[in-house]
Amino acid sequence: MLRSSFLRRGYNKVAGVFGRAEAKKQDFPVLEGHPAAQESAEVALESRVTVQDNVKKVMKEFRIYRWNPDRPDSKPFLQSYHVDLSECGPMVLDALQKIKAETDSSLSYRRSCREGICGSCAMNIGGTNTVACLKPIDGDTSKPTIITPLPHMFVIKDLVVDLTNFYQQYKSIEPWLKTNMVPKDGREYGQSPADRKKLDGLYECILCACCTTSCPSYWWNPEEYLGPAALLHAYRWICDSRDELTEERLQALTEDERKLYRCRAIKNCTATCPKGLDPADAIHKMKTKHIWFLSLWKWLKACSSGSNLIQNAT
Amino acid sequence: MGASRGPRLSGLQKQVLSLYRGFLRAARCKSAEDRRQIESIVSAEFRQNSNQVDRKNFVYIEYLLRRGKKQLEQLQSPNTESLSQTKQS
Repeated sequence: MLRSSFLRRGYNKVAGVFGRAEAKKQDFPVLEGHPAAQESAEVALESRVTVQDNVKKVMKEFRIYRWNPDRPDSKPFLQSYHVDLSECGPMVLDALQKIKAETDSSLSYRRSCREGICGSCAMNIGGTNTVACLKPIDGDTSKPTIITPLPHMFVIKDLVVDLTNFYQQYKSIEPWLKTNMVPKDGREYGQSPADRKKLDGLYECILCACCTTSCPSYWWNPEEYLGPAALLHAYRWICDSRDELTEERLQALTEDERKLYRCRAIKNCTATCPKGLDPADAIHKMKTKHIWFLSLWKWLKACSSGSNLIQNAT
Repeated sequence: MGASRGPRLSGLQKQVLSLYRGFLRAARCKSAEDRRQIESIVSAEFRQNSNQVDRKNFVYIEYLLRRGKKQLEQLQSPNTESLSQTKQS
C-alpha cells in the first residue's frame, strides 16, 4: 500500500512536469495522513473529469402555463424553458424544481411529498392529469412537454388552482365512521380480513383532484355534481362493514338527482388516476346499491299494501 | 362618484357593491378600533381597484370578486378579530 502510494507520488511528480496532473494532494488538505482516502479521492476526481467529457447535454423544452394575478391586463401564455435532462431528476417535478431554482423563481406550483402520496402537485402534463412527482419526463427531445394547470378550474397563479369547492364537496359526504354500536371489547371496531379487502382500491385515494377535473360532467356542473373523487370516498364509507348508517348515506347522496346521477360513465376518471384507482367502478357499484335499495323498498311497500287490499276485499 | 353610477347598474357592478356591503357588515361585528381599521383597508382597496382596473376586464374583476368573497368568509368567522396589510416593496 505504502509502496503504491510512493510510486503514485513519483508518477505525479513526473506527470506534473508535463503539466497534466494538478497537485491533487493540495486539493484535500483534510485527508493529510490518510493515504487510502487520498487515493480514492484522486480516483473520484479523475472519473468525474472523464464523465464530464463523455456526457452530452440533453436539452428538453418545457412549455409551462403562466399567468400573474398582479398584472391585471396580462393574458395567460405558455412560456418555454429548456432543461438539461442529464443534470435533472427523472420526474416532471424535478424539472419544475430545477427551473424554479435556476431559471425562473417566479414559477408557482404546489408540491410537498415528492413521492405521490400527498396529491399537491396535480397538474395537466401533456394533456393528461397526473401528479408531477410520479410522471417521468418524456425523453423525446424533439417535442416540447406542455404543462398546464388542472382543466376547468379557477387559476390563482401559474399552475396553482382553486380547489376549495373540491374540498367542500369531500367534506359534504361526511367521510368518517358513523356507528351506534359499542365496540366488542370496548376498544376497537373489529373487521374481518374479507371485509377489509373490500376497501382496497378505495382508501388509497390521495385527493389529488386529477379525476374530478378530468370529468366533463364535473366541468359543466361543478356546484351540483360531486365528482368522482368525492363519490369514491362516499362508496368507501358505504361499503365499510363497520359503518352502520349505510342507508342514510345513500339517501343523502341520492336525494336530488344531481349529486350522483350526473355521472354518465365517461370513464375519464379511471383513465387519468395517477394511483391506478377506479372511481367509475365505485360509482357504478353505488348506483347498483341504490337501485337495489329502491326495489327492496318498493317490494316491502307492495307486500304491506297487498295484505291491506286482501283485508279490504273480504 | 364616477359616471358609471347611473340609474342602471350592471350585474357585475352589483356584485362588487354587495361584496363591499358584506365587508362593512362584517366590520360592524368587530370591536370599534378594529372596525375602523377594516373599513379603511377595504375602502382603500376597492377605491384603488376601481381606478386601476379597466371596466371591461371581466376576467380580472371576477378574479378579484372570488378572492374578495374568500377573504370575506374568513373575516366573518367569529375567531378573526381584524385585518392588517403589509406594503409590497
